[in-house]
Amino acid sequence: MTTDVEYVGRLHGLDPERIHWEPRQYGGDGEKSLIALTPNLQSADLSIIASKVRLNARNSVKTWPVDRVLTAIDQTVARLLDRSHPVRKKMEHLLPIVTGYDEEMVRIGLTGYLKTFRKPQLQRFITEDFPNPGILDKFQPLVKGGFGRAFGPDLLAHVWAGNVPGLPLWTLIAGLLVKAASVGKVATAEPFFAGWFHDVLAETDPELAKTIALVWWQGGNTELEAGLFREADVALAYGGDTAIAALAAQAPASTRFLAHGHKISFGLIGREALDPSRASSTARKAAYDVVRYDQQGCYSPHVFFVEKGGAISPETFGTYIAQSLASYEEKFPRRPLSLAEASSLVEWRMAEETRLGGKVVEPCNGNWTVSIQLQDRALRPSGLNRTIRIVAVDDLEETPILSKPYKTLIQTAAISATPERLFSLASMLGEVGVTRVTALGDMTSPEAGWHHDGRFNLLDLVRITEIEARAETAAEDLASYAD
Amino acid sequence: MDEAEVVSKLLTFIENKNAVEADFDQMALSIFAYQFEHNLPFKKFCLARGKTPKTVRHWADIPAVPISAFKTLDLTCSSPTSAEATFMTSGTTQGGKRGKSYHPTLAVYNASMRQNFLERFMGNREKLKIGILFPPPVAMPNSSLAHYLELAKQYFGSEGSSHFVRSNGIDYERLFHSLEDAEENGVSYGLLGASFSFVHVLDEMERQGRRFQLPPGSRLLDTGGFKGQSRELELDTFYDALQNAFGVSRANCINMYGMTELSTQFYDNGNAVCPSVKSGPHWIKTRVVDPLTGSSLPKGTTGVLAHTDLAHFNIVTTILTEDAGVEVDEGFMLHGRVSGAEAQGCSMAVDEFLISAAAN
Repeated sequence: MTTDVEYVGRLHGLDPERIHWEPRQYGGDGEKSLIALTPNLQSADLSIIASKVRLNARNSVKTWPVDRVLTAIDQTVARLLDRSHPVRKKMEHLLPIVTGYDEEMVRIGLTGYLKTFRKPQLQRFITEDFPNPGILDKFQPLVKGGFGRAFGPDLLAHVWAGNVPGLPLWTLIAGLLVKAASVGKVATAEPFFAGWFHDVLAETDPELAKTIALVWWQGGNTELEAGLFREADVALAYGGDTAIAALAAQAPASTRFLAHGHKISFGLIGREALDPSRASSTARKAAYDVVRYDQQGCYSPHVFFVEKGGAISPETFGTYIAQSLASYEEKFPRRPLSLAEASSLVEWRMAEETRLGGKVVEPCNGNWTVSIQLQDRALRPSGLNRTIRIVAVDDLEETPILSKPYKTLIQTAAISATPERLFSLASMLGEVGVTRVTALGDMTSPEAGWHHDGRFNLLDLVRITEIEARAETAAEDLASYAD
Repeated sequence: MDEAEVVSKLLTFIENKNAVEADFDQMALSIFAYQFEHNLPFKKFCLARGKTPKTVRHWADIPAVPISAFKTLDLTCSSPTSAEATFMTSGTTQGGKRGKSYHPTLAVYNASMRQNFLERFMGNREKLKIGILFPPPVAMPNSSLAHYLELAKQYFGSEGSSHFVRSNGIDYERLFHSLEDAEENGVSYGLLGASFSFVHVLDEMERQGRRFQLPPGSRLLDTGGFKGQSRELELDTFYDALQNAFGVSRANCINMYGMTELSTQFYDNGNAVCPSVKSGPHWIKTRVVDPLTGSSLPKGTTGVLAHTDLAHFNIVTTILTEDAGVEVDEGFMLHGRVSGAEAQGCSMAVDEFLISAAAN
């Protein structure tokens, strides 16, 4: 038995010898475990780190064309996609130990996720927010007249949460694209991924890697949180409402604070998708969305609203999903649950079972649960960890009303219906807060350049400096060639 | 069997100190059959799991009902309206819904309490001067703990035994006077109550600079933990403080573990060492299980506690708690509550959704 040891944090500007590193164990006591060495940081350390990465960015990425950044990320991601690369091997080996997810699911998930960060996808990512990406490099003519240039923050702070592998990549890359220096606080649940990305970036473009520092502390340390936010122009935070509110309280008014709270997502399955030739594949795709990372993502489904009146009834469709979940369980077993998770799942299941018109289908080992609800139509959360609610509705058009009370809590809706209905439903759902409509089976893999929670990933980070047309005219008067 | 027969058999069983595992098994299976027949929500629960009196062959196969079900289902074999007592949980979780246990008669509950308390707290002594740090049943008619403590006073309290908590809080003056009196006259004293009330008393004694040296034979009984109603103390700190404040050694500070969803209590043999080992009498058995499957875990593995309490004959005998624990020789050790899991990622967990949706 060997236990891997990994450092958490990339502390530019600090002498690692001077840091006190504390061990934290991941994985069980059995064959597979991993020791994380976490830095014991003080608020003053954060200032040193922040100054260092800010300086590094000023001397490097701030002066570069954005295309160089794209190339560096592309080459980094190419290495991470290469299954023989040592860091990729490490990810495949260690992430299942850290997060508990099945190895095969992690491997497939990594590849699917990373390939959305190749150069063409990154170009799309930028163009979504900046139709003329040159605005990140130089003043560009504006449609209204005059010129404009986008400046990224001098320092972007990130506070990541949760154990969905790779989550930090979204905001880390967004920071690089707007040429910001970054200090990211990694999540206790999965503190390694960001560091590994940093290390491979250091292979492909060492100067760029020096603009990213990674730190860690036990969540809720208000002194360090305040210390980090004081240094940042813009702060991005992930977490539940309580955690976000606590973090927001630490950000000074001068720091732009952007939050991604926990969300709930769902799917709509129309009667047209419920004929005998389509229902099985519809169920398989729906089950796949449930299985991916055991529903831990904000885009993961909690409920499928299933329309009555198709050849296959909502109840039967529920059993189809159950079958698909059973076969996925064979292929990608659910990660082991903590006692608290298992116990709250039991409570959820009991509540579902006792609802009028409710029925619960699950295997003896309890590794997944389908709750079929023929009467209760409310949008309620699943018990997570491969538990899904199948809610029968007369018409899909009822579902926007059902989700309306939760406007700020909902995110993705998958729709399986005709093109006409897709657009009419999407517009109704958009009104009640849905920010992403996708296909069944794709809920957990947003497109490159998606507007996370309906916001602009890059535009929200920058400020635009404009040269008004009048300034140009006035300058003309002072030109050497002026009459 | 009808109710009268069940009650009479149980009263005999509780008295039968020579009962062995096979007797327990037989009694458990016959009560299971009784509950399956008369308690319809429980029958539905069993059928959904393929369990019937025909398929359940051993007490450990009786399906454990999660305690959350006590909040949504009317689990009872008799009509709730004719119950002698209805005990309810405090309703601090799940949107204020309270779990209910109906008792058509308290005869079994009282017999269970009496025999067990006599042995485990009284040390088979007949009387003690008893002080109670909890409101009396008139103030809290649906509290099983209020009833339990009242029984302690009625059955085992000598003259001058009293409650010291009223609607306006703890009556420190009367309490301290009563303790002083016992101290001066060399009368053994039993002080019983909610753990958090003890913390309030400790704080007040500290404020007044008071200490007691209760006479030999005195004992303390705390129960229920701190529940956010007082400072949270480490167990060692708590029992050290009790020993120091009342002059009762930690070995004579007993912790009772009970639940509204049971008719029998568990005790430890003092808290000289924490965490202590808890155990119950011969009519209750505890398994440490995987909550998802209900199957027993090997000794030494932490799981969730499932109790089979024959005295809870009118509701269900077998409950799945939200308490983590581990089986050891002579009983089990408690490892605290397991509920309230948070989502690991950026999705939403049920509790969080309820809070956020309410704030929306």
